[in-house]
Amino acid sequence: MLYLTSDLHAEIVRLGVAAYPYEGCGLLLGVMTDTAKVVRGVRPMLNVWPVVEERRVRFRIDERDWLAVELEAAAQGLDIIGVFHSHPDHPPIASPRDLAWAAWPGYSYLITEIRAGQAGPSRSWELNTARAAFEEESVQIIADQAPPVG
Amino acid sequence: MATIRIPTPLRGYAGGLSAVAVNGANVAEVLGDLTRQYPDLHGHLFDGDQLRSFVNIYVGQEDIRYLQGAATPVAAADTLLIVPSIAGGAR
Repeated sequence: MLYLTSDLHAEIVRLGVAAYPYEGCGLLLGVMTDTAKVVRGVRPMLNVWPVVEERRVRFRIDERDWLAVELEAAAQGLDIIGVFHSHPDHPPIASPRDLAWAAWPGYSYLITEIRAGQAGPSRSWELNTARAAFEEESVQIIADQAPPVG
Repeated sequence: MATIRIPTPLRGYAGGLSAVAVNGANVAEVLGDLTRQYPDLHGHLFDGDQLRSFVNIYVGQEDIRYLQGAATPVAAADTLLIVPSIAGGAR
């Protein structure tokens, strides 16, 4: 289960709209337990896919940018718990391309469809333990930062 | 001893720790010490004896690929980070 406030979700969607027609991307910051992840912040990241026109269907995050966010987040008591990116004019379904370049099971991969420059649905995915497929993760949009029970 | 930060999803394999103190004079030795302390980490970091293609090791702010790779010296005050390469796309 991924818990996300409506404000943070709105920010993620706004970033996807702003990046359109290219894929926008960023990092989810928060806390991870055995049963849930709670997003406490988002960090937009540059899409550094090397061929600009291919950014319509590709994204890449620079490892040095990830490192900087990890250290900044740690100083605030937060961890990187996932990645968000947008799918311009494409459903928010983790693709074989997303799978090929995923990292470890446990991160949330939140994908937002941006269709014709307008916000579409968001869905989240987790890599299975064999790293062979994504499984959909439930997303709970909450009103404020109050942590979930349990 | 140097310190190596553990990525969030791998902490369950490292006793729940966000950072582990490691012994070793270079990157190969400290990674070996890390996986001796926490053997379950090995398969998540390595494919056989090679680092997985999406796994990047930093000593401080420097990627070891641009230093001396696995032979990169590690000092007691150093912090190492394990940073994933992340990419994807709609199709």
